[in-house]
Amino acid sequence: MTFLPGWPGGLAVDGLSAVLLVTLGTVLAAVLVFAAGEGYGARFFGLMLLFAAAMAVTVTATDLVLLLMGWEVMGAMSWALIGYEWWDARRVRSAGVAFLTTRAADMGLYAAAGFAVAGAHSLRLDDLAAAGAPWRDLIAAGLVVSALGKSAQLPFSFWLSRAMDGPSPVSALLHSATMVAAGAYLLIRVHPLLAATGWAATLAAWAGAVTALVLGAVALAQRDLKQLLAASTCAQIGFMVLGAGTGAPAGGTAHLVAHAAVKSLLFLCAGVWLGVLGTKRLDALQGAARRHRAVGAAFGVGALALAGVPPLSLWVTKDEILAGAGGSPALLVVGFAASVLSAAYAAKALLAAFRPMGGGGVLRVPFAQSAPLVPLAFAAAVLGVLGLPPVADAWRRLLGVPDESGPGPWTVALSGALALLTVGAVMVVRRIPEPAWALHWLWLEDAASAVVVRPAFATARALARFDDRVVDGAVKRVARGGLAVAGLAGRRVEFRVDGLVAAVGRAARALGALARRPQTGQVHLYYAQAAVVLAVLVVVAVLAG
Amino acid sequence: MNENPADLAPELCVLAAAVAGLVAGMFLPRARQWPAPAACSAGLVAGLAFAGAAAARPGLTAFDAFSVDAITHVTRITVLGSTLAVVLLAAGPVRGHPRESEHHVLILLSALGTIMLGASSDLLVLVAAYLLASVPAYALAGFGKDAPGTEAALKYYLMGALLGVFMLGGVTLLSGVGRGTAYPVLRTGLAGAPPAAVAAGLVALLAGLLFKAGAVPGHYWVPDVTEGAPPAVAAYVTTVPKIGAFAALYRFGAEISPDGWPVLLAVIAAATMTLGNLAAFGQDNVRRLLAYSTVSQAGYLLVPVAMAGRSDLARPALLYFVAAYAVTNLGAFAVVVAAGRDDLAGYAGLLRASPLLGLSLVVCLLGFVGTPPTAVFVGKVLMFGAALDGDHAWLAAVAAVNTVASVFYYLRWIVPLFRRPSGPPPPARGATAIAAAAALLSLALGIAGGAALAA
Repeated sequence: MTFLPGWPGGLAVDGLSAVLLVTLGTVLAAVLVFAAGEGYGARFFGLMLLFAAAMAVTVTATDLVLLLMGWEVMGAMSWALIGYEWWDARRVRSAGVAFLTTRAADMGLYAAAGFAVAGAHSLRLDDLAAAGAPWRDLIAAGLVVSALGKSAQLPFSFWLSRAMDGPSPVSALLHSATMVAAGAYLLIRVHPLLAATGWAATLAAWAGAVTALVLGAVALAQRDLKQLLAASTCAQIGFMVLGAGTGAPAGGTAHLVAHAAVKSLLFLCAGVWLGVLGTKRLDALQGAARRHRAVGAAFGVGALALAGVPPLSLWVTKDEILAGAGGSPALLVVGFAASVLSAAYAAKALLAAFRPMGGGGVLRVPFAQSAPLVPLAFAAAVLGVLGLPPVADAWRRLLGVPDESGPGPWTVALSGALALLTVGAVMVVRRIPEPAWALHWLWLEDAASAVVVRPAFATARALARFDDRVVDGAVKRVARGGLAVAGLAGRRVEFRVDGLVAAVGRAARALGALARRPQTGQVHLYYAQAAVVLAVLVVVAVLAG
Repeated sequence: MNENPADLAPELCVLAAAVAGLVAGMFLPRARQWPAPAACSAGLVAGLAFAGAAAARPGLTAFDAFSVDAITHVTRITVLGSTLAVVLLAAGPVRGHPRESEHHVLILLSALGTIMLGASSDLLVLVAAYLLASVPAYALAGFGKDAPGTEAALKYYLMGALLGVFMLGGVTLLSGVGRGTAYPVLRTGLAGAPPAAVAAGLVALLAGLLFKAGAVPGHYWVPDVTEGAPPAVAAYVTTVPKIGAFAALYRFGAEISPDGWPVLLAVIAAATMTLGNLAAFGQDNVRRLLAYSTVSQAGYLLVPVAMAGRSDLARPALLYFVAAYAVTNLGAFAVVVAAGRDDLAGYAGLLRASPLLGLSLVVCLLGFVGTPPTAVFVGKVLMFGAALDGDHAWLAAVAAVNTVASVFYYLRWIVPLFRRPSGPPPPARGATAIAAAAALLSLALGIAGGAALAA
């Protein structure tokens, strides 16, 4: 569908878009039902629907202009939703941090659009890979930056931590099928361009792998369930970015879909507990899963899937990505290490939720909040079928990459074994190493504040001072100078001119008085004057003649 | 020799009307003398008609001493028109006066003398015309029989007598050294005459004409008579005799062109306009203000007279300016008659009390300054052109400076018009109509003359 006659761009649904739209719709429906149970107002649902609609536009756009429109509206809505409870200053600040961070990265997308016009003379996503030599690299760089920002990859990850201040349904949606998924989607969409440049794909792969590893460690260090889940989102999206970079778009998409189900499920569970128990601290949630069977079971399924335990969904989809990374042993090693970390932090969450504890009755959970968990848990469990060979082939054909290879049996076995071993070890040991350096998200926000924000403010203040003192000062000095010159003119020049005018006036008055003197009213004087004047005139006539 | 009386038809009409008015006044009841002004007005209208008809015919000379040319045509039409306006202006104030018919007859006789003054091309006729134009005016000045009027009449008469005697002496001298009194004879006769005698005779002759024109040194009567005489008479003596005097001066200068004429007249012109303007500055009496204003206007009018024979622009400048001056001056005096006030303060708020009268006054006063598109503007432009064309740039400069200075006292009169009305509005409908007509005529002449100049 096209919007403007003569404009080559528009909206189109292909395999990738269809998959994402279905995912988006499903998750959105579940989240909205859940939110209805929490009793939010019309503003909330309106913003949520706009948020989802913007994501839908983003994933169906065929050119950069429409994509940017969806992308920007999505960013704005994320700001409005994270800061939904506007009366809390911290939440509003968090919304600002999230918005400004993603917005800063979005500059890459604008630059990419400009470079696309310059290099490819087209804004269509299909044409980007055909751009000329310097332009193609510039476009790819811009797209990668903006995607990394939107997906909260390193070094932009900190905004996702601040985004946790939003309501739980927002987190559930923002972490699964929208926003962070948009970055991964964009990289999967333009993976031909990334592959064509040669370096961009590698960059994306390493960025994803490192994020998966480091943010896995960050997740492991968290003591707050939502923060743990947020860091895990970064790590899992890292796998998708890795897939996009290593030529495994089908695997990345499968991971995206499965992760959407898993993560929305986990966030909704966290939301339930936050609502009912009033806490999201891991030590305070002790035994929470045992106090409501349905929620507990759903959380268990989700956490095990997140851990990559066979035969649940993420086990298979992650392996498909790692199969794509097979070309580089280093990447593979990092990937497996990240897998182990993901198993570890999932196990940490499981342990906290299922640790037996005395006391505490059965939790009362509204039906509207427990009902959406069931289909999501089901999806989280069974989406692994996407990895079964016949389904996988159909999947790849749907996404237009039929040649993508699946994971080898040893990869699958190794990752499953690693996950099982890790979870088992955690359950047995019950002690998890918590790297202290990772607790505060690597101090990324402080670093950004120190490197970008403060210098920017300092520069702004310096420029403001320059403006006040030099530019404005010059204007004011000109005005003062004008006044001074005017004063000088008023005292020195005006005085003379005015004096001259006054003198002329006085002289004219004096002459006027003088001119009336002959008019004495006495005839004998008239006679004398007339005679004198006539005599003078005779002299004049004689001289002139 | 042309002795066709029909060539003097306008003058004969005026004479007949005067005689008719005089006869009518003898027999009519004192309270019902309206046929006398009616007869006078009819005579003036008939004279205007004949003058208009004569203007379309080629010029000629009647009785060897009476030129019927462009100068005479303009003099006749202007004098007859102005006199008609004065008769109408005076008709109201003198209605029921014991000597009502004599008043109008005197005006007519004086006007007749004025026309003769402008048309004569012989010194003897000039003297006769001078007496005819002057003597009735002396009587008119004292017509009110009040103290100021009597004083004015006496001063007017005394000045006229002295300067008239000078004039007679000048005529005697010139005719003696020039061996004749007709201008063509004098032109050749004076060329070989002793210059000192010619200069003395010339200045003596000028004395009388300058007295009629109200120029230096014959201007002393102007403020006193204008202030003391009845307003309508003041309007007459400051307007009509001047027309004939300037015509006579120009004719003399152009037809005889004696040595030193331009310099002599230029000096007189400069002195007249400067003195008139300066003396007008401090006046609080509008009639005295107008009197000095007419003196300064006489100075401007002397500029083309001085340029007589030196510039082609001189004659149109004089004729246009004199007509424009007559219209404007009559308009201003008509306002004074209508308002019935002589002090400047009495004109406060006139524009609101009587918009037509106030507007007419504004038009006339701005006309005196020479503001486009009034008639005097065109006259002044021609006057400046004549001065520059006749190589008297200094005279043009003096006239320009005087024009700028004159703005002051005209504005002194205009400004109070815009203030709040101070008293009941003055009625006098007839005078208001004449003022409005004069203002309209001034604008019409200015626009038509401007268009003619531009073409």
